[in-house]
Amino acid sequence: MQLKPGARRPKAANARRQLMAASCALLGAAGARGQQSGTAPADSGLLEDWSVDSALAYYHENGRIRAIEPVVDVSKVFADGQALNLNATFDSLSGSSPNGALTSHTAQTFSSPSGKASHSYITAPGQLPVDPHYQDERIAVGANWTLPVTRVDQLSVGAKLSDEHDFFSVTVNASIAHDFNEKNTTLSFGISNEYDSLSPIGGAPVPGSDYALLEKTGGKTKDGVGALLGVTQVMTRIWLTEFNISVDRFKGYLNDPYKITSIIDSAGNTTGYEFESRPDQRTRKSAYWENRVGWSEQFSTALSLRYMSDDWGIRSDTAQLHVRWSLSDRHRYIEPTLRWYRQTAADFYTPFILSTQQPATGYESADSRLGAFHALTYGLKYAQKLPGLGSRPESEFSVRAEYYQQTFDERMAVPAGLSGLDLYPGLKAVLVQVGWRF
Amino acid sequence: MAASAGNAPDEALEVEARGEHLLAVRFTAMASPCEVLLSSTDRSAALAMGTLAAREAQRIEKKFSRYRDDSVTAWIHENRGARIEVDEETASLIDFASRCFELSDGLFDITSGVLRRAWKFDGSDRVPEPDSIRSLLPLLGFDKLEWRSPHLMLPSGMELDFGGIGKEYAVDRAYDLLASARAAPFLINFGGDLRANRPPPHGPWQVGIERPDADREATMILDLEHGALATSGDSRRYLLKDGVRYGHILDPRTGWPVPDAPRSVTVAASSCTEAGLLSTLALLQGARGREFLEEQGVRFWLLS
Amino acid sequence: MTPTKRNEILTLKSLGFLLLLFGAATMGGCASLGVQPWQRDVLAREDMRLDADPLDAAIDDHLYFSKEASSGGRSFAGGGCGCN
Repeated sequence: MQLKPGARRPKAANARRQLMAASCALLGAAGARGQQSGTAPADSGLLEDWSVDSALAYYHENGRIRAIEPVVDVSKVFADGQALNLNATFDSLSGSSPNGALTSHTAQTFSSPSGKASHSYITAPGQLPVDPHYQDERIAVGANWTLPVTRVDQLSVGAKLSDEHDFFSVTVNASIAHDFNEKNTTLSFGISNEYDSLSPIGGAPVPGSDYALLEKTGGKTKDGVGALLGVTQVMTRIWLTEFNISVDRFKGYLNDPYKITSIIDSAGNTTGYEFESRPDQRTRKSAYWENRVGWSEQFSTALSLRYMSDDWGIRSDTAQLHVRWSLSDRHRYIEPTLRWYRQTAADFYTPFILSTQQPATGYESADSRLGAFHALTYGLKYAQKLPGLGSRPESEFSVRAEYYQQTFDERMAVPAGLSGLDLYPGLKAVLVQVGWRF
Repeated sequence: MAASAGNAPDEALEVEARGEHLLAVRFTAMASPCEVLLSSTDRSAALAMGTLAAREAQRIEKKFSRYRDDSVTAWIHENRGARIEVDEETASLIDFASRCFELSDGLFDITSGVLRRAWKFDGSDRVPEPDSIRSLLPLLGFDKLEWRSPHLMLPSGMELDFGGIGKEYAVDRAYDLLASARAAPFLINFGGDLRANRPPPHGPWQVGIERPDADREATMILDLEHGALATSGDSRRYLLKDGVRYGHILDPRTGWPVPDAPRSVTVAASSCTEAGLLSTLALLQGARGREFLEEQGVRFWLLS
Repeated sequence: MTPTKRNEILTLKSLGFLLLLFGAATMGGCASLGVQPWQRDVLAREDMRLDADPLDAAIDDHLYFSKEASSGGRSFAGGGCGCN
C-alpha cells in the first residue's frame, strides 16, 4: 500500500506572527463581546507582591542579661522566577556578663575594659564575677538574590553586614542548587566568606598576658571561609529529608577580648588573672540531618540532628524536635519544641590556672562557652491566621516562648580551699517572641 | 447568540485544598477532566472562579459539540446546501479556521471530519480501502465551502468540526473571564490544555505532561510562570497492519495518516488557541514537526 | 591541671558521621524515591517547607551562637556578630 507523499513546507516563520494575529483577532472579538459581563479588576496595590515577616524577641538570662531584638524580613518573587530577600535586625543587649574569672571566697575587683576608674567593679565573695556594665547595640542588614539559571538550576547570592560598638562583620555567600529526578532530589553547594573587624573598648589584649598590666594592642581582625554540600530528597508523599555536610575555617584573632582566666594557688586563693589565649585558627566540620513528616492534616513533625567537631577538641551533638498541631481547619496551630544539646570541652578550656603550672599548649580560656555542658530548650509556639492586608489572602500572628537551660558536665578537681563554692552555675534563660507575617 | 450568563454548571462544584495556598475546583467538560487552580486561601473566590470557568466551558461545549442535536454544529449540518447566517462567535471561529487553513497550506482543515466515516482507529488491522478514501476526497476541503462572514454555505455531504480548536478556545475564553475578575495567580487546565496568568508566590506552576509510552521518564515536569500550554498527541489510537502503524493524525489533503507524526507535542505560547494550533500543525507536519516548531521560534517539547 | 579526659565515643561519633554521609550518598542516587508531580499536596504545605519559620530559626540560631560553641548545619556556620 503506497502512502501519499509527505506534507509540503508551509510558509515559514511569518506563519507564527500571522497565527498570533489570527488568535488575537479571535479572542479579542470574544473579549469584546463578553465585556459587559466582566467585573472590575481587583485592586493590585504595591504591597501585594512583597511578603513581609517580622518578629520582636525579648531575651532574659539568669536575671542578668536582657536583650530586645526586632527583626524584619521582606521577600518578593518576580514573574521570571527571580527572587529578592531583604532583612534587617536590631539587637540591644544590656546587663551583666561573666568575665571568665572564677568565684572566690574573697571579694574581687576588676577594671572595666575601658579602663575608666568609674567603671571598675567589685564582685562579692561567693558570687560569679560578672561585668555589670555590659551594654551593646547591634544593627545588621542582609540581602539575598535568587536566580533560576536553567529550568533545574538555581543560583543564589547574598551578603550580610553587622555593626556594633566594638565589632563589625561582613559576610558574602553564593550557592547553586540543581534539581533532578523530577524535582524529587536537589543537590546544593555553597560557599561563604566572613570578614570580622574587632575594635574592643580599650584595645585588644595581648593573648595570655597579665590582666594587671593591661597590655593592649590595636584593633584585630578574623576571617572565615565555609563550604556546604547538601542534598534534599522527597522520600514519600509525606516525608521530606535534608542532609548537609559543611566545613568552615576561621583565622585571625579568635579570642574574646574581655575574657580573663583566674590564676589560683594551691589553697584556692586567686593570685591574679590573665587574658585568655586561643589558637589563631579554628576548623569545624558538621553534618546535619533534618526530616519533615506530614503525618496528617493536623500533625506534622520536624526532627533534626547535628554533629559537629572542630580542631579545638570540641564535639557536639544536637537534636531538635518540633511538633505542629493544627486546629480549626488549619487556621491556628500550637507547636511545642524540644532541643537537646551537648558539647565537650575545648582542649585548652580551663576554669582556672594553678599558679604552679602552665597549660601544655600555652592556650587557655575559661569561657564557659568552650566548656563541657549540656543544654535543654523547651519551647511552645502559638500562631493564628488573621484577615490579610489589602488584597492579600491572609496574615499570621504568632507568639512563642522558650526556656533554655545549660548545665555543666565536667567538674575539675579544685583545691580544698574552694569547696563549698558553686563554681559552675550554668545558665537559665527565657526567650519570648511575637511575630507577624503578611 | 450572545454568551449566556445565567446557566448553572452541570454539576455541583466543590473547592478542594491542594496545598497551603492552593485551592482547586474540578468539573468535566468537553469529555475531559477540567480544573481551575487558584493560589489563595479564599474559598469563596475559588468557587466563584471555578463556577465561571465551568459555565463557560460547558456553554462552549454545548454550543459546538457534534454529538448534540441542539448545537450550532448540528444546525449547520441540518442546513447543508443553504446559505445561512451564523452568530458572531461562530463567525469568529470560522474566520480563525479559515486563516489557519491558509497559513498551513490546507493542513489544518475543519472539514476533515468526514474521514471518520472511513477510518476507525480501534487498534485493529482494518485499514480502509483506497477507494473508500478516494470517494471521500470531494467532501474534504475548507476551500469548497462558501464563507463570507457571517454567511456560510456548507455543500451537501460535508461536515464542520470545531473539535480541533474548541478546547483551546474554551481555555482562552475562561481565562479572559477569570483574569478580569481577579488578580490572584490562577491556572486553568482543561484536560491538558492550560493557561496561567502569573506564578504563585513560592515559584512557578509545576505542570506534569504525560508522555505516551511508559518510559523511564514517563512524566515531564514543566515550570509555567504565565501563558498557555497545549499538548497534541498520537497516543493510543492507531491501526496496525502488515507491520505498518497508521496513526490517527490524518492529512486532510490526502485522506491518509501523516507518516512519522510525532507521538506527543507540547507547545507554549501566549494563548491556548495559538499553542493548540501550533501543536496540531506540528503533528500534521509529520517528520518535519520539530523543524516546523523551531522555525516558529516557540518553546516546545516533542516526542517522536 | 587542665582537663584531659577524652571521650571514648569519639570513634563512634566518627563512624556515625561516615554512616550519615554514606546514607546521603545512596539517598541522592536513588532515582526511584520520590513522588509524581500531582502527589505534592502535602509537601506544598507551609509546615513542610524546610525553611518554614525562618525568623524563629534566625533568632534561635543567634541565641545558640552566643551561648554555645557550635553553629550552623542547616546553613553557613558563621555568626556575623560579636557575641561569641
